[in-house]
Amino acid sequence: MTIREKGYTHWEGELRARRLAWWPITRLGIRLAFKKKYFKFIYAGAFGPAFAFIVGIYIAERVEDFQSMLRGPRVLEVNPKYFLTYFNSDFLLFMMLMIMLVSGAGLISDDLKYNALQLYFARPLAKKDYLMGKMAVLVFFLLSLTLVPGLLFIVFKLLFAGSFSFLATYPWLPTAVVASSLLTTAFFCLYTLLLSSLSRNRRYVSILIFAIYVASDIFFGFFYENFRKPGFVLLSLKRNLQQTGAFFFQQKPPYPVSWLYSFLILVGICLVAVLVLRRKVRGVEVVR
Amino acid sequence: MIIELKNIHFSYGQTPALRGIDLSLEEGATGLLGPNGAGKSTLLRILLGFLPPQQGEGRVLGFDIKQEQPSIRRYVGYMPEDDCLIPGLDAVTFTAHFGELSGMPRQEAMKRAHEVLFYVGLGESRYRLLETYSAGMRQRLKLAQAIVHDPKLLFLDEPTSNLDPQGRQEILELIQDISSRKDIQVLISSHILSDIESVCSSVVILNKGLVVTQGKLSELKRLDFRLYELKIKGDGEGFKMRLGELGCKVEETEDKLLRLFVPSDMDILEVFRIAAEEKIQVRHFVRSQTSLEDLFAKVVGADG
Repeated sequence: MTIREKGYTHWEGELRARRLAWWPITRLGIRLAFKKKYFKFIYAGAFGPAFAFIVGIYIAERVEDFQSMLRGPRVLEVNPKYFLTYFNSDFLLFMMLMIMLVSGAGLISDDLKYNALQLYFARPLAKKDYLMGKMAVLVFFLLSLTLVPGLLFIVFKLLFAGSFSFLATYPWLPTAVVASSLLTTAFFCLYTLLLSSLSRNRRYVSILIFAIYVASDIFFGFFYENFRKPGFVLLSLKRNLQQTGAFFFQQKPPYPVSWLYSFLILVGICLVAVLVLRRKVRGVEVVR
Repeated sequence: MIIELKNIHFSYGQTPALRGIDLSLEEGATGLLGPNGAGKSTLLRILLGFLPPQQGEGRVLGFDIKQEQPSIRRYVGYMPEDDCLIPGLDAVTFTAHFGELSGMPRQEAMKRAHEVLFYVGLGESRYRLLETYSAGMRQRLKLAQAIVHDPKLLFLDEPTSNLDPQGRQEILELIQDISSRKDIQVLISSHILSDIESVCSSVVILNKGLVVTQGKLSELKRLDFRLYELKIKGDGEGFKMRLGELGCKVEETEDKLLRLFVPSDMDILEVFRIAAEEKIQVRHFVRSQTSLEDLFAKVVGADG
């Protein structure tokens, strides 16, 4: 191995403070996610429901054109419930979990395992920049599955209908789409990063992300089936997301429990995640 | 002044790591020496802003270590002791990534990454995944990411650890080449005294959280003490005790050779006078060349 093929040369440019110091971390994170085995398939598969729902909007609009000729109730109607069905669908939530599993599990745990944190923090990078960079990787994937399709549904509905009457009827719907997307995204992001910061082993983190999410739903099912008390819905992460989603779209929650409790549980988990991340992410391990 | 520290204190819980460090480093390569637990790594971490000092103040490259940490980190390169990498990346992307995080434009960072990887000898393997790198290659990679943004000050923590003799020599050559530039200052923390001696012009020795000596290596070796080697016949305990009372430090080697560190202001004839009084025969008496090892042994102790 030859060294000093060239002598040390200076770089002539000027180092500048970045407005978005976290952006290179995000870009790299997204790039690394796409390099992972199966990720492209999972991510593409996660767009299946969005595609089906857009087709549904088109069909519903065409059916509406001929409604006068048809008898019986409307088979397919695009309304807030239609949106909620998309946002609360088990398949979408499961695919988001899979994406977190593949792209998010190693985000912090790999840096802990391979001592990369000290390299990051030897740069003019604050802890919040690092965490923002990592979060933004997951935000990118999750919003592309929630906010983007949600807004596209509205746009396509307006395009296919050729009028703004839909928005006039439901003027709050874009806000509901944004709020629901942000809550789901924030929860999944912080949940994943929290678990990723707890172990140096990406596999353990993947197992934890999956197991906690699924186990919480199994516990709910077990207690609900045995005791028939809807309050047990608060045990399930998935059902809490669905309860809160129902509120945003002004629909009746699946279980007769106030959406506020579910919302508080989700916010509580997010707060715990922020506190843990602030403690766990640092440039140097300090053993006291 | 490149680094200026006043009365820096830091404790890990109840365990004090730094107990009032006063330090001023001028230009050139400086070695940071000390036994395990002396506080070298803690000091580096404080200089980088990883740890906030609990007491005291300081400046690095003119920036306050408590208030202006981002500015310090922008102009400082850091090569940690541990292996550091991001799995799934090749060396070019890795190095360019950290250049970009230091404030380089993306394209420039990529171009510079290629240059520094060639410079450290990883040019041929710059597209290989980092997980496949050997220990020596990882060491070079750490150096590459530390110099990618052309820092004004370079912190190297044990730069030659885990290296075979040839790899060690090559890394030392690189450090020498970098530090020979008058506009890049280098602070090297190492256990290997010969590495420091071959690369550094100044040295700081820490022991138990305090600076026990600092200055130009050549002056420290010359002015602080004189070293003699002697062989004696007779019971040397009293002789050694009386020399100790006069400020000398005496060490006995495995082959019964006494190494005598004599203070610069002491008359060397005193040694013979004491030997005569203690009825000791001095059979061998030679002035020895002082090395960094001798200096280290004197200020820290041979077992340090």
